[in-house]
Amino acid sequence: MTAVAPGDTSLPAGVATPHLEMRGITKSFGTLLANDHVNLDVRDREIHAVVGENGAGKTTLMNILYGLIHPDEGEILIDGNPVRIRGPRDAIAAGIGMVHQHFQLVPVMSVAENVVLGQEPGGIRLDRAAAVRQVRDLSERFGLIVDPSARVETLPVGIQQRVELLKILYRGSRLLVFDEPTAVLTPQETDELFEILRGLVGGGKTVILITHKLNEVMAISERVTVLRQGRNAGVLATAHTSPPEIARAMVGREVLLRVERDEAHLGDERLRLEGVRADSDRGLQALAGIDLAVRSGEIVGIAGVSGNGQLELAEAIAGLRPITAGHIYLQGTDVGTQPAAARRANGLAYIPEDRHARGLVLPFEVKDNLILGSQSRPPFAVRGQRNSAAVDQRAEALVRQFDIRPPNPDAPASSLSGGNQQKVVVARELAEDPRVMVAAEPTRGLDVGATEFIHRELIQKRDEGLAILLISSELDEIFSLSDTIAVIYQGRIVEAMPSATADRERIGLLMAGGAAETALPTATQIAEAAAALGSSDVAGGSPHGEGVA
Amino acid sequence: MTVATLPIERPAGRLRQLVASGIGPILAVVLAIIVGGVVVLVSGSNPITAYQQMLVGAVGSPFDISETFISSIPLILAAYAVSFAFRCGLFNIGAEGQLYMGAIASTWLATTFPNWPGIVLIIVCIVAAMVAGGAWAGIAGWLKAKTGAHEVITTMMLSYVAIDISHWLLEAGPMTPSNAYGTPESGPIPPQAAFPIILPSWILPNARLNASLFLTILAGVVFAWILWRTPLGYEIRAVGFNPKAAAYGGINVARRLVIAMVIAGAFAGLAGMVPVWVQMRLYDSFSPGYGYEAIAVALVGRNSAIGIFLAGLLYGAMIHGAVAMQANANISGFLVQILQALVLFFVGAEMLIRWLLRRGGLRALVEAPA
Repeated sequence: MTAVAPGDTSLPAGVATPHLEMRGITKSFGTLLANDHVNLDVRDREIHAVVGENGAGKTTLMNILYGLIHPDEGEILIDGNPVRIRGPRDAIAAGIGMVHQHFQLVPVMSVAENVVLGQEPGGIRLDRAAAVRQVRDLSERFGLIVDPSARVETLPVGIQQRVELLKILYRGSRLLVFDEPTAVLTPQETDELFEILRGLVGGGKTVILITHKLNEVMAISERVTVLRQGRNAGVLATAHTSPPEIARAMVGREVLLRVERDEAHLGDERLRLEGVRADSDRGLQALAGIDLAVRSGEIVGIAGVSGNGQLELAEAIAGLRPITAGHIYLQGTDVGTQPAAARRANGLAYIPEDRHARGLVLPFEVKDNLILGSQSRPPFAVRGQRNSAAVDQRAEALVRQFDIRPPNPDAPASSLSGGNQQKVVVARELAEDPRVMVAAEPTRGLDVGATEFIHRELIQKRDEGLAILLISSELDEIFSLSDTIAVIYQGRIVEAMPSATADRERIGLLMAGGAAETALPTATQIAEAAAALGSSDVAGGSPHGEGVA
Repeated sequence: MTVATLPIERPAGRLRQLVASGIGPILAVVLAIIVGGVVVLVSGSNPITAYQQMLVGAVGSPFDISETFISSIPLILAAYAVSFAFRCGLFNIGAEGQLYMGAIASTWLATTFPNWPGIVLIIVCIVAAMVAGGAWAGIAGWLKAKTGAHEVITTMMLSYVAIDISHWLLEAGPMTPSNAYGTPESGPIPPQAAFPIILPSWILPNARLNASLFLTILAGVVFAWILWRTPLGYEIRAVGFNPKAAAYGGINVARRLVIAMVIAGAFAGLAGMVPVWVQMRLYDSFSPGYGYEAIAVALVGRNSAIGIFLAGLLYGAMIHGAVAMQANANISGFLVQILQALVLFFVGAEMLIRWLLRRGGLRALVEAPA
């Protein structure tokens, strides 16, 4: 296939026809122009990143490629030949496969059954043995180690993703699209995925990686297409660019990727945990005796692979999960048995890790969400009646101060973008002038612009004396914000250290369960820990207690 | 912060929102009338005549208007009971039972203390009806909060209990007066405790529509006031939409569930008292299923105070209009039930309505802002 499409000017002479070309893709939803004459060209055997802020049009573009959405204008060429993609079936026929952010797997079926689903070997009767054999061949060929007969629901997330990948490889896809594949992965699983991606490209595949994490772009891609507000904002060769340059293209202005942070001015102790134990939702012990202290003007970062008790820790402090042992002191008072409302009144604020499930009442208007937690206190409630004037006043002030868009306090929270929803949560939690804040995954799923904003806000409050417990599975976030880093593993703080002297390698090792005080772990210990990392939902329990028997 | 802030937007969209939320149910009614007409046509009658007779029968005279209101009021009040619970995320399927408890309690008081002054007795009866309905619903709320028992089951089962209690009380029990000739009914409600009749007798000599209409309007105001103008209503709605976020906001979710059920039951209790105070006696099986039809009214009224009031009037008009239609156009009263079902069907088929609206070029009304 060397025929050059007529009128092709997007590439200099001498370069082969791109494997995929999307030209002038335009798609509008009502008044919103999601894609405005977007071009994308991806070379054969390339790892090509597509980046952009939330709402920049990445997902729309990929859904068009996969036939889930039909463009108003534009054309798609594979190896220089125009193709019409009316639905996923056409996309698959054209050799396009997609690994969705949310897996499309049948949990109760085996790996092999999931992989062959829709194209089962055998006649009327499913030939299970053949399916297992085919899947095993496939996984060996691409170095994707999976047990074909394991039930999917028993597998860790990272392995489930491999099953998704096997599914599209089984269908013979040559162009593999990954939608935010690392959002659900641990750092180690991410490294493994990248290894797999490199192997795939070596095996003749082409990869499109949709992401907003710049370090991943730098680590793995050859070129990067940047989208901003539905338009192309540049195509950069990774070797000749830098994260700040990509960020600038994404946001349209200079972005500080690392917030500047002065020396901490530590004050009195605001939050203290002594031997706190708590159970997970499944009734397993998730916190196995947490000791922790946060002082005024300090950010203590909890680093850890998600599922090691972080959620339970945050909820125990917030009063949303009963503790089974220990003490929680908030400004010197033992609040371990107090209800959530009392702790709030005592100066505690909490940014929950899941803004949809916990942080917001999505159908409520922005202004109503901005008073959640204060709804029955003056000035928002006076003599048992709602004081609408005060509610409006707060809403307008916070919307302005935090630049929440659209700047309409009457809009339902569900209509806001993720970044703006998170701003609503952060704005509300900071509005009551808290003494202690638990910030869990404060920038999860946010683009660089919104992340920068929230980081600055947290640093500013810390400088004003707020005690912040930061819980994050993003090591970068922990390093860039924390004064003290504490590593959580299986419901215990295994080590705490000043961030100035903290060593990334060592923290990674501790997160993976590498023993702190004893000698360095053996290779088998690390391998076991890595295996345990995946089973993120086995909170605090034995890593081998559940999952694959 | 160097970011330029945008001016606060406050689009004057309240009216448009109201219109937009009303257009679905209105279109559903229109569609139901059309499809119902086809049903009449197929069964060999003239749909125009049928609807004409129904309309005349419902609102053709002061008497009919009065009777239409009488049919509507229990439906409206019971629908408030369904909706209030629904705002807290609870499916109160058992308004029927709560309504029976309200009727029993108020009747028992009125017949036990027939010599009390009218104004005292009626107020005591109103309170008793609300307390009894509220307590009955509160049991379901408490069970939900304490044990997680699903309210669909508990309210439904409690309904059977309440209805059978009324059978026992009236058929051979303590509420059967000694002079009853085998008819299962209570003694009379003392006349001084009656609601005043609204229409003066020179307009309509035998009008039965009484001041319970104002009570119903007041109930609607209270319904909306609690939900939208009090912190309690905020908390109830927060629990209804997202209990986890509500708990996070420091709201005692279990307590709110119970309170919401009690308030809902109080509306139902009133709904049970009003028909008794029209007939001035509690008859056995006095409710033609108000509590169940109320679920439909609540749905058609989109769980809003005004919407429910209008939907209740519509259902009341259909019920009362059916009498004349049956007599004068010789069309089975079952048409009304078909119509009610169709209205509900089309309200439920919201996607269909949206699709039709889009076809009709009313895109702006149905599309949420991006």
